Amino acid sequence: MTVRLAGVAIFMIAALYTWYGRDYTASFGDVLGPSVFPVIVGIPAMILSASLVVFPIGQVQWPDPPHMLRQVAALAILLGYALLLRDLGFPLATFGLILGIGIVLGGAPLRALILAAIFAPALWALFDQILGLPLAFLGRWFD
Amino acid sequence: METLSLLAGGFAVALTPLNIALLLLGCFSGTLIGALPGLGPVNGVAILIPLTFAFGFDATSSLILLSSVYFGAMYGGRISSILLNIPGDEPAVMTTLDGYPMAQQGRAADALAISGVASFFGATVAVIGLTLFAPVLARAAIHFGPADYFALYVLAFITIGGIAGVDPRKTLISALLGLMIATIGLDPISGIPRYTFENYHIYDGVDPIVALVGLFALSEILMLLEKAAVDRAKPIGLDSWLPDVRTIWFTRWAILRGSVVGFVAGVLPGAGASLGSVMAYSMEKQTSDKDGTFGKGDPRGVAAPEAGNNAASGGALIPMLSLGVPGSGTTAVMLAMLISLNVQPGPLLFERQPDLVWGLVASLYMANVALLVLNLPMIGLFSRLMIVPTWALMPIVAAVSFVGVFSISNSGFDLQLMIAFGVLGYLLRKLDVSLVPLVLGLLLGGDMERNLRRAMSISDGDWGVLIASPISVTLYILTMAFLGLSIWLARRDFKRTQARNVEG
Repeated sequence: MTVRLAGVAIFMIAALYTWYGRDYTASFGDVLGPSVFPVIVGIPAMILSASLVVFPIGQVQWPDPPHMLRQVAALAILLGYALLLRDLGFPLATFGLILGIGIVLGGAPLRALILAAIFAPALWALFDQILGLPLAFLGRWFD
Repeated sequence: METLSLLAGGFAVALTPLNIALLLLGCFSGTLIGALPGLGPVNGVAILIPLTFAFGFDATSSLILLSSVYFGAMYGGRISSILLNIPGDEPAVMTTLDGYPMAQQGRAADALAISGVASFFGATVAVIGLTLFAPVLARAAIHFGPADYFALYVLAFITIGGIAGVDPRKTLISALLGLMIATIGLDPISGIPRYTFENYHIYDGVDPIVALVGLFALSEILMLLEKAAVDRAKPIGLDSWLPDVRTIWFTRWAILRGSVVGFVAGVLPGAGASLGSVMAYSMEKQTSDKDGTFGKGDPRGVAAPEAGNNAASGGALIPMLSLGVPGSGTTAVMLAMLISLNVQPGPLLFERQPDLVWGLVASLYMANVALLVLNLPMIGLFSRLMIVPTWALMPIVAAVSFVGVFSISNSGFDLQLMIAFGVLGYLLRKLDVSLVPLVLGLLLGGDMERNLRRAMSISDGDWGVLIASPISVTLYILTMAFLGLSIWLARRDFKRTQARNVEG
């Protein structure tokens, strides 16, 4: 069932892609223009995904709800990291990331805490000090 | 032969105590940087360029430091490809296909050793090729026109279809998805934005590192979360920390074939190590995969792309030096370095500044020797990474990837994009769709489109230009041959598995 769903999803993406692609025109430039390649790519994608709907192959096994919840939690932690990075500053945010992902993956909370406490400042030092790539130590919330 | 004495001269210039020290330092730090997911050779070299200028070394010493960092970082990238299934850089994608299964079967030490040895031989073949053919090749490579390049990319994509995954439709969809993603951003020829939806963050297109790390590293985390910690397939540990010499010997022909294919691919201007490793892997698979062992931990599947991409990196020096056309991100960085050291690439470079050119060749070769010597003992150290428990390893990998990507691009958007790629990678893996064609579509799509449009510009809209030159025709015939061979092989395998199911 899910392969069919995926086929439908990919078909719609490919269809939208081709639809938008046809509109791209340049007033100057080359003969072919920016729209031809997207169409060349989009149409076979539509055909192939449609064939996946009609002739699906393979079974998909999804994890059970508790584990799906863990996956969502992990994604939330990662997204939170991406959004809060500049606000919190690197060591703090990275501490939260390592702690969070470590616990979600099943590590003991205390061990994850120690791991995070060691590696967050260590990574900051590695990138900011040793490699010379500037990373904020304290974030915008602390300014 | 005159070139041999020039090469010897290059070695003489390169073999001073200072240069040797720089060589070892560069190899070591390069390996460390390259092993961190999210950085990679290009960034490694870019990070260390300011250091070389700070020290104020002369041209040869700077080149030696940078080449040793570059090759060290390439080797480091193999480490994360084999041990963590996270490609360290674009050519490393092919190494994950067989390298990671080998690690999962407890043969990480073998895989790392094969990677080192094959890389060394690939570089050797490249140096020999350079010595013998450089001036000739520089002139011959000019004959490749845009239509020929397009044919080459078509060949690469069709052969990929025969490599990865069971269902060719899924492989092709994966490749097409990659090509679609490649078109996102400002169109390089006409400058209009495509599929950006007013989001200026993505005007430059999708950064390959963001895609790589998201697709492989973050999806791995999601995959691991499917089962409880105790139920997860544990890394099988190691059979031994020392590589098995017999396995390495077994791959010798794969190494040779991969090196030749890689070198030829590298010589073509605009083609680089990625294409070299793809072609080497697919050729090797077509030639020696009799029992369907490729993709499940066949050592030849590691040897061929490793030899191929090192040979291609060496071969790529020819168009870089003689035409000023870099074949890949790394050659582009090297080119920038050379120009800043007042070296003018061009057809007469080999004649006008032989010391520098052959000094460069010698330093690249020495970097490979140093890596072989340094890394074989370190394999034991690196393989021990397999014993670190997942709950500790993956958060560190995630943190390094995020910090690495952010420190280079300074873009929170890139991080969010990386997470999106992680979800995409997870979904595709669940659907049994291989990620490799997607990555290759993303990487090669831009060049493919550019060459098609150039060819059509030259012919003013005549589609016949695509089959006008003998080179294109030959390549398309090869493509058909590969396609026919794959279909025939797939049918034969299908019948075999049918027969086995009936008997079993």
